[in-house]
Amino acid sequence: MANITLDGVNRSFGSVRAVHDISLTIADGEFFTLLGPSGCGKTTLLRMVAGFAELETGEIRFGERRIDTLPAHRRNTGMVFQNYAIFPNLKVSDNVAYGLRARKIGAPEIAERVARALRLVKLAEHNDRWPHQLSGGQLQRVAIARALVIEPEVLLLDEPLSNLDAKLRVEMRGEIRQLQQTLGITAIYVTHDQEEALAISDRIAVMRAGRFEQIGAPEEIYRRPSTPFVAEFMGTTNLLQGNVGSNGASIKVGGTEFAVPRLEAPEGTAISFSLRPEALRPLIDNEAAPDGWAVVSAKLARLEFLGALTRIEANLSHGAPLRVAWLDLPLHRLKAGDPLRFAYDPARVTVFA
Amino acid sequence: MMSVALPRQRFALLIGIVGLALLCLFFLFPLSRIFDASFLDPKGTHLTLANYGKILGSGFYQQAIANSFEIGAFATLLTVLLAVPLAFALARLSIAGKSALLALVVLPLVLPSFVSAYALLLMLGRAGLATQALRDLGIPFGSIYGTPGIVAVYTLTLYPYVLLPTLAGLKAIDVSVEEASRNLGASRWRGFWTVTLPIVVPSVLSGALLVFIETLENFGVPIVLAEDKPILSVEAFKLFVGETDQNPSSAGVLGVLLIVSTALVLLIQRHYLARRRFATGARRSPPLIPIGRASLVAASVACWAVVLSSLLPFFAVVVLSFMKFRGPVLQGGFSLDNFADLLGRSARPLENTLMLSGLAAVIAALIGVPIGYAITRFRSTLTNILEIVATMPFAVAGTVLGIGLIISFNSGALVLTGGWLIMVIAYVVRKLPFSVRSSASILHQIDPSLEEASINLGVAPVMTFARLTVPLMLGGIIGGMVLTWVTVSSELSATVVLYSGEWQTLTVVMFQALEGTGAGTAVAAASLLVVITLVPLAFVYRLLRRYEASLL
Ligand SMILES: Nc1ncnc2c1ncn2[C@@H]1O[C@H](COP(=O)(O)OP(=O)(O)OP(=O)(O)O)[C@@H](O)[C@H]1O
Ligand SMILES: [Mg+2]
Repeated sequence: MANITLDGVNRSFGSVRAVHDISLTIADGEFFTLLGPSGCGKTTLLRMVAGFAELETGEIRFGERRIDTLPAHRRNTGMVFQNYAIFPNLKVSDNVAYGLRARKIGAPEIAERVARALRLVKLAEHNDRWPHQLSGGQLQRVAIARALVIEPEVLLLDEPLSNLDAKLRVEMRGEIRQLQQTLGITAIYVTHDQEEALAISDRIAVMRAGRFEQIGAPEEIYRRPSTPFVAEFMGTTNLLQGNVGSNGASIKVGGTEFAVPRLEAPEGTAISFSLRPEALRPLIDNEAAPDGWAVVSAKLARLEFLGALTRIEANLSHGAPLRVAWLDLPLHRLKAGDPLRFAYDPARVTVFA
Repeated sequence: MMSVALPRQRFALLIGIVGLALLCLFFLFPLSRIFDASFLDPKGTHLTLANYGKILGSGFYQQAIANSFEIGAFATLLTVLLAVPLAFALARLSIAGKSALLALVVLPLVLPSFVSAYALLLMLGRAGLATQALRDLGIPFGSIYGTPGIVAVYTLTLYPYVLLPTLAGLKAIDVSVEEASRNLGASRWRGFWTVTLPIVVPSVLSGALLVFIETLENFGVPIVLAEDKPILSVEAFKLFVGETDQNPSSAGVLGVLLIVSTALVLLIQRHYLARRRFATGARRSPPLIPIGRASLVAASVACWAVVLSSLLPFFAVVVLSFMKFRGPVLQGGFSLDNFADLLGRSARPLENTLMLSGLAAVIAALIGVPIGYAITRFRSTLTNILEIVATMPFAVAGTVLGIGLIISFNSGALVLTGGWLIMVIAYVVRKLPFSVRSSASILHQIDPSLEEASINLGVAPVMTFARLTVPLMLGGIIGGMVLTWVTVSSELSATVVLYSGEWQTLTVVMFQALEGTGAGTAVAAASLLVVITLVPLAFVYRLLRRYEASLL
């Protein structure tokens, strides 16, 4: 096991630059996620590490060892495919043993390691089944066992959960994370589901058009997005445009003034910022805002009841929409046009330079 | 610009280079020798157009060209007129015994068409059974020799080429398209003319062009039925093997004319029509059309009549092979004499047929499967060229290929004439387009990530192909081999040019018996061919349906 270094890696398909000058170091034992919209180059980058896509320039190293010059079958990576890629002509145990046989390992050891891997993914009783007798989630487990049993230096997962239903997806992502931590294996995980990325990663790289937009821990990416793109991609947000106000710690949006952390920019500069819907707390009746918090007023436009959460869209004085997430809405009879007040901590506002 | 760094691509490159090298040596080189022969003066030293002048200036050969195109055009037209209504009935009406019909309708593609021609001759020829019966009854009956007979046999044996793609086209129309047309106020009939038909036209035309190519290339049917009527593919053969005046340069001219016309038609078919296919992304095929009981019975009878009359000649041959002949004349009465005659002289033709076609089937798979793999999994300039070259043999008549192989390999560094190898080479080249296309279509159903998973687990690309891809394709490969085997068994056109001495096959025996008077032997050989074809097909019947598309 080792850290992974990508150094100035590039790849184009015709005029599309799928991977654009990417450099990165992933620590030993880290769970690293590539997150981004469709077509941003996640799969291409992952396949470069696996050896299925060529590099035009740059290097990839596992530890000190350069691997981008090695053919795919000698890289010792364990890949879990989106569609599982379970060999339909082999039984579960033979699927798992496949990589070990390629390594010319003795039969008794193969049997033992296969059994252990299947126990690890809770499929010990299914070793004698044919793939077509398994459910989607079970196939996914076979794919993981098959990738882990060869004791790869890195585990590569390309949207491994996207073919599963919502509930199973949540369950499996927990299991993948737990396995990875138990084994201490370095993993690169590809997904376009931001919630999944936040839930399981040590670090996330948000990709856009072949480049990294931001790299950081889940909380950092969510709380302090470095660009409007990241802010919008990581869940819903209020992305507002305004001008720096007179006191240097506020931004005027239409007629509404938002308090923000101290700004360097001179008064009047056009500037944009993000304020998450859940950072806005509704104030009921004449309830006062907590100390140090600011208040913004708006008129209710739409209300979407989602159970635990109610999504509100309100309009600022000049008509711009403001989204608010209201946890556990009290039994209030709200109707469109009602005036509302929301409190927020100015520290939660992310301003983009 | 791209370096070939990945071993998978090196593997594809290797297949590409080896495949192209073999095709160059045994296909493109022989073809080029035919072009050479057609452009060289008799001493073989100077380029000249004199050969073309001589052939094109001769009334006889002008007639041959005209006849070939005329017969082709008639047959194509008739197949379309026969196949399109049949396809429509099978797609949209609740025809009685539909699944049996659908199974039977594929058979003419693999049964030897010259056997059908021969059956027609036995029944309706000058000394034919039916002819005599009609004459005894005092009913005059016209001649089936020449155009009428040939066109009839082509129509009855080639209509699946139009039927199958049209049927597929009709099934691929989503019900919503027709519903939309009716919703917009068109009657069912108007909807058919303005929506349904235009959507299937590319499929119909595409099949029709294949029929046209087949008629130009075919040698067996005209050799049986043309009598004195000159036909391009037959005249090329006669010019080449003519006992009195062998004339490779004139044969070359006819060969070039054939190649150019078939290649042009194939080009139109692949590059114009293939793109015009309308995919309407059928989720639900249109429902069966309810029609009156009487109409339905009539439609069912018509469908069965077409399909059965296409198979009747083969059935007749098998029955006739158990009757007594004296010379060309049927004597009646049950007997095994014909088979005793045929096999008593020597069992070699039967053995040769089974052995050579078996060998050809194995080699065609060994070459065709890797090529199919390379062209589906690795798109590159090289594999694009390989795909084009590997499908080209379809456009080359067996006679022409045979002639090319002989002028290429009867002297020089590599001498192959006079043995069995050159026959097998010709068979492999001729069946390669099928082998490549069928393996490509099997591969389209195998997800490429399976191979990547295998490589990722440490199995090198070549071993992945051998240990994973081939086993996954196995059912398909075997099915393809059986089809190659049965179709090569009845190969006539290249065989008659290439066989020598002890390497006679059943088709050659039939061919010689036709020239002589031994109808009994010919009919026994024909009957054996039908059996050799049908028995293995019965075993791989399920597979056959999967290969319909690749047969075309
Ligand atoms: N083999 C290829 N040939 C041509 N273009 C390609 C190829 N593979 C990827 N691309 C292009 O490169 C870009 C990045 O593709 P990639 O598959 O890496 O995206 P992705 O981030 O994995 O997207 P998704 O979330 O949809 O899987 C896309 O614009 C894609 O069209
Ligand atoms: Mg992807």
